[in-house]
Amino acid sequence: MNECYGCNTCKSADKPLEGFIAGLPMETSHHRVDSQSTKCGFGLQGVCCRLCANGPCRITPKSPRGICGANADTIVVRNLLRAVASGSGCYIHVVENTALNVKNIAKTKGEIKGVETLKRLADIFGIEESDVHKCAEAVADAVLRDLYLPEYEKMQLTEKLSYGPRYEKWKELGILPGGAKSEVFHGVVKCSTNLNSDPVNMLLDCLKLGISTGIHGLVLTNLLNDVVLGEPEIRTAPVGLRVIDPDYINIMITGHQHSMFTFLQTRLIDDDVKEKAKKAGAKGFKLVGCTCVGQDLQLRGAHYTEIFDGHAGNNYTSEAILATGGIDAVISEFNCTLPGIEPICDELKIKQICIDNVAKKANAELKEFDFENRAAVTEEIIDEIVEAYKARRGSVTMNLMKDHGNDNTLTGVSEVSLKKFLGGSWQPLIDLIVSGDIKGVAGVVGCSNLTAGGHDVLSVDLVKELIARDIIVLTAGCSSGGIENCGLMVPEAARYAGPKLRAVCEKLGIPPVLNFGPCLAIGRLEIVATELAEALKVDLPQLPLVLSAAQWLEEQALADGCYGLALGLPLHLGLPPFVTGSPVAVQVLTEDMKKLTGGHVIINSDAKASADILEKIIEEKRQGLNI
Amino acid sequence: MKRIMIDHEKCDGCKNCSIACMQAHRETEGTVYDLDLTDPRNESRNYILKDADGHYRPLFCRHCDEPKCVEACMSGALSKDPKSGHVFYDETRCGSCFMCVMNCPYGVLKPDTVSKTKVIKCDFCVNAGEGPSCVASCPKQAIYVEEV
Repeated sequence: MNECYGCNTCKSADKPLEGFIAGLPMETSHHRVDSQSTKCGFGLQGVCCRLCANGPCRITPKSPRGICGANADTIVVRNLLRAVASGSGCYIHVVENTALNVKNIAKTKGEIKGVETLKRLADIFGIEESDVHKCAEAVADAVLRDLYLPEYEKMQLTEKLSYGPRYEKWKELGILPGGAKSEVFHGVVKCSTNLNSDPVNMLLDCLKLGISTGIHGLVLTNLLNDVVLGEPEIRTAPVGLRVIDPDYINIMITGHQHSMFTFLQTRLIDDDVKEKAKKAGAKGFKLVGCTCVGQDLQLRGAHYTEIFDGHAGNNYTSEAILATGGIDAVISEFNCTLPGIEPICDELKIKQICIDNVAKKANAELKEFDFENRAAVTEEIIDEIVEAYKARRGSVTMNLMKDHGNDNTLTGVSEVSLKKFLGGSWQPLIDLIVSGDIKGVAGVVGCSNLTAGGHDVLSVDLVKELIARDIIVLTAGCSSGGIENCGLMVPEAARYAGPKLRAVCEKLGIPPVLNFGPCLAIGRLEIVATELAEALKVDLPQLPLVLSAAQWLEEQALADGCYGLALGLPLHLGLPPFVTGSPVAVQVLTEDMKKLTGGHVIINSDAKASADILEKIIEEKRQGLNI
Repeated sequence: MKRIMIDHEKCDGCKNCSIACMQAHRETEGTVYDLDLTDPRNESRNYILKDADGHYRPLFCRHCDEPKCVEACMSGALSKDPKSGHVFYDETRCGSCFMCVMNCPYGVLKPDTVSKTKVIKCDFCVNAGEGPSCVASCPKQAIYVEEV
């Protein structure tokens, strides 16, 4: 632990939060950036290999090959493929659990909240079944069947869920994925010790993993969640640390698997459970949103107004949320649950419960989500949280931030709700793009990290630069959490936009940045892009559309990024994904990819320079479409 | 007068000092991300060796009080700055006799790999203005600057 708190925290785009963290009497990730500022140059370039006992081998002028003979290209791309496979595995785990939950809910005749989405999926899958429960079970089974196929059998839903011209392109490149779980297996085998040494061959595997991650991991997880948890509806909601109401027993949730909370979130507002809270001295229970699952609840918040007060912040806000003292328990089910929350939870007597063992935290109690025993397990969880509340309240100092964030962030945006908002057709948006009132679309997606300028610094600065150039921004992921807390998703944020986009936003009463929610919703952005391309009768790479994972953090983001590249989109990253030590990887990712899929990677850590590059790409695409 | 001091017991051989040196003396513009780690023109002025017992021995120019390299230099390419005490190398005056290499008691000087016409010599990063890059990059403080 650093001895001096507050004198060395990193910057945040969220200035009130930066001040709050600097004044905390405990250490957070923001404090540790400084003491971890010396980075390993070999690691940054991706040229450290420790795949065998001869290693670690590093590339230098005197040693351009590892002991085995692997050069920088092989070492770098093996490391990249390993990361992409791992990231894909994470999302496939999420969709597998989601599909299982949908199946179990359907089998037990549970509530199907998203009948429209179910119908949509059944139509896409070719399932004819009028009984909603049987239909939901069949849909879930179709997803699970695909996930469990061997690597040598192509998944059946890929073609049904992808845009025709893209599917043909992937077929031509030989990158149609087999079973999604098997593809992860194939990927990790391929990059193990002394197997594949062909960087281009491995990069094609990255694309293949990108497709299975994108279509099954992202697109389908959103839609399956909508089936059992309800479809997003556009509305405004409070965000930031202000959402923490100390009169309630507050449970912070972290992870990516909304369906795991289906039972709990309903049970917490049953009268007998509320009574337990009241007996303990609270008004009831509240779920406080954090990380992507918080975004998921916010997105579907129209269905959960009683239990869910709002999204407090993203991954690197989680420590601050806990440090307010207002949180009584953390229920985590996946990443991004930082290990750094553990000492804070200990100090502030916050109960940690983990409901999926893949994300078991060291000092959390493991209460695995078990559909069959969900009622009993949920009661145990509730009782333990009530006990934690009773034990800690009164003895823990509150350090709330009542003014943080805002009350009217626009949320609930999805491919369906946005289209509905536009009158049931994309034509109004297309007309605005054609007329130049909206120059183009930028998806600013993915995580938040602390090193690309600081917490959310590059993401927020880039968004400001883009909207000032009349480029509308759509967000998905922890980037959303930072951007919303900085006030760019309230209708009044229209004033930050360029004159044309500002006029559009003011006319429609919307902000220039539209929040699609969790990182999973990158899949929703893909649906929007596909439907726009369909309407224009062009392929995705022709659209005036760019992606930026400005502050990508983790392996999942790399798998998402590969999906973006497979879709043929320009993909901006603030920091390189540990590949710059390989001339082949750099050449393929930043240039040759244009000829393969139409996409390419742009690496730039300066907001203005990045926006210049992205704007130029959008202008070129506009010219290509003669608009 | 400032010198780089070495606490070899703290060194864990990460070679960050070498990369920092390569980056500080590269001929092209750029960041550590695009530094060509395979290009011999980017060779480092410092080295980490492993001794017979398996311990790391960081080798750095000591800018000696009585520099054997300067004494051996016949062309005047190497000189000791009376003010800072640093030993500087003027490539344009070098006759490539490499007597400095022969006489360095620490074995740290060497001819450049590509042309073998000049000496690879620490300049204490005097032009960078913020002290030696190697020292700034050491995560273990195995090397540090001390006033002597």
